[in-house]
Amino acid sequence: MLKTYAPALELSDIQATVLRPRPSPYLGEYVVLRIDDAAQGREMLRRIIPHVAPADEWWVPSLPGWLGIAFTFEGLKALGVPQVSLDSFPIEFRQGMAARAAILHDFGANAPANWEYPFGTADVHIALAIYAQGEQNLQRVLELARKTHYDLPHISVAYRMQFGALPEGRNPFGFKDGLHNPVVEGSSPAGQVSNEAPIKAGEFVMGYPDQLGETAQTPIPEELRHNGTFMAFRKFHMDVAAFRKYLRAQASSPEEEELIAAKMVGRWRSGAPLVLAPDHDDPALGTDPNRNNDFTYADDMTGLKCPFSAHIRRVNPRDALKDDIVDVDSHHFLRRGTNYGPPLPDGVLEDDGAERGGVFLLIGAHQRQQFEFVQSQWVTDGNFISHGTEQDPLIGNNAGDGVFTIPKRPVRRRLHGLPRFVTVRGGEYCFMPGLRALRWLAGLDGHAEQTAPR
Amino acid sequence: MANAAMKIPTAAPSPKARPGLTLGQAQEFTIISALKPGGAKRMRELFREGFDEERRKHTDRIGTVHDLRFVIFDNDSRVIFASTFDGTWETYIDDFGTRIPDEIDLLFHECEGYPGIHSPDVKDWIVSRQVTATAFYSAYPDASVRDVWKALKTKKALDALLDQA
Repeated sequence: MLKTYAPALELSDIQATVLRPRPSPYLGEYVVLRIDDAAQGREMLRRIIPHVAPADEWWVPSLPGWLGIAFTFEGLKALGVPQVSLDSFPIEFRQGMAARAAILHDFGANAPANWEYPFGTADVHIALAIYAQGEQNLQRVLELARKTHYDLPHISVAYRMQFGALPEGRNPFGFKDGLHNPVVEGSSPAGQVSNEAPIKAGEFVMGYPDQLGETAQTPIPEELRHNGTFMAFRKFHMDVAAFRKYLRAQASSPEEEELIAAKMVGRWRSGAPLVLAPDHDDPALGTDPNRNNDFTYADDMTGLKCPFSAHIRRVNPRDALKDDIVDVDSHHFLRRGTNYGPPLPDGVLEDDGAERGGVFLLIGAHQRQQFEFVQSQWVTDGNFISHGTEQDPLIGNNAGDGVFTIPKRPVRRRLHGLPRFVTVRGGEYCFMPGLRALRWLAGLDGHAEQTAPR
Repeated sequence: MANAAMKIPTAAPSPKARPGLTLGQAQEFTIISALKPGGAKRMRELFREGFDEERRKHTDRIGTVHDLRFVIFDNDSRVIFASTFDGTWETYIDDFGTRIPDEIDLLFHECEGYPGIHSPDVKDWIVSRQVTATAFYSAYPDASVRDVWKALKTKKALDALLDQA
């Protein structure tokens, strides 16, 4: 049974990708489709809808895996969505992520000109996220997806990439990942408890009140908007060798390397937060989901345990900014992260040239206030913590001239010469509709719905 | 329905230019608005004590406002609100609405047509009353309010250290 909240979230109509963590361990593929004919695009949609997972089916999926679907602005245009509807979408979505580069600090190596094709071009129309628990199941879901357009010549696959879990649920840098997400009011499956105050569902799904008590009135029509949301897709390359080399150069012992790495992230590799384990890693704490997020910064307003500039303190400040004007609860997004590429073997300090990193789906109903705010104010700037132009040490757009401040007594330590550990390989803003809205999109030409071919 | 995909331009339109001049990270911000009947008198009363401690505290919390002033002119019929601050006001306007709505409303509620901080039209109202400066000078355009506060704090600590030496 779900806890009762008003209004109840319509879990059977919201995509699973929005509200549910991916399976663990996991395997999957992102697929980008291009539509060159609106009628064929809608036919493809009609066939794929039965395979799109809703949030209420997540823990007993009737599918071998699950499939999420989202559309860029160009994709909605290609499907023939009426102009009056297109015009009602938020500005950042209409412009596309590449056009927002100045706001997002996507300069230098991160500039859209350096992104992988087809990201940042008008060829990205539909993005599919396919998750499965094993290779066989993945192939089955991929085959289902392929069958939705294999006989439609005007639907083409513009891009495919595989992703998969690394050993022990670590990210390529060697840190336990995917540890924190905001609690969406009214969305938790039975028995799940959290110490954190829930955030209003309208921050993450349209059709419900948000933190300001407002319910989204755009985009129009309501059939398209209801139970939908927006997603910022970001593909990152992670330069693990550069990270290890940097730690080696700054530290005089392996223990100090680990401490500096933890100071940059705000957690030890096990996931244990610095606030609760300031001096040494505590693997038991790191792996305990009841404890590894049970902390605030109230006892660390000096940053002596967790630096103000640490990655997790920047992207999720919790109570750290409570004396400032910022309304932290209106700047959350749901983060669905996946890793790709082989791990760099332990101890290797030279880059092997392999492509490895992470793809993040950052989900929220107000992307300007959520992803864009966090990226521009908290990740690529330091003014909010009185750190001038200092950026996030791990995911900031540093170019060999980055600095990282570690509060310490009697004097702080400042690291210099931070390179870019994480490089943007591509990004897109997508609209992720509810299931009924998918049917609305598929039925635009007035034809009756058809069933998927077997 | 027509196949639109092939006609899609690759370049997205550039973000619409907003009023106000930028220098380094500093932005000048000037609003000129008509006052409600009797508004000038009520505003003078409101600011009799100027930016008293309470009002100063709230403004300090914003942490990005270098200065601000109200000038009543034109036979008490209009007001100029002028400020210099770090970044862009649009980034934090929604946060103001949540965290200090009453303070913001107090500043502007004598302005003709001000819809209130909670109104979805408040951004459009600001833009419609904003006038871009003809010229804008800042002595330290790259230093934010927080940079200056921090520098002053550091100087004080350094002076104390040197005085002891």
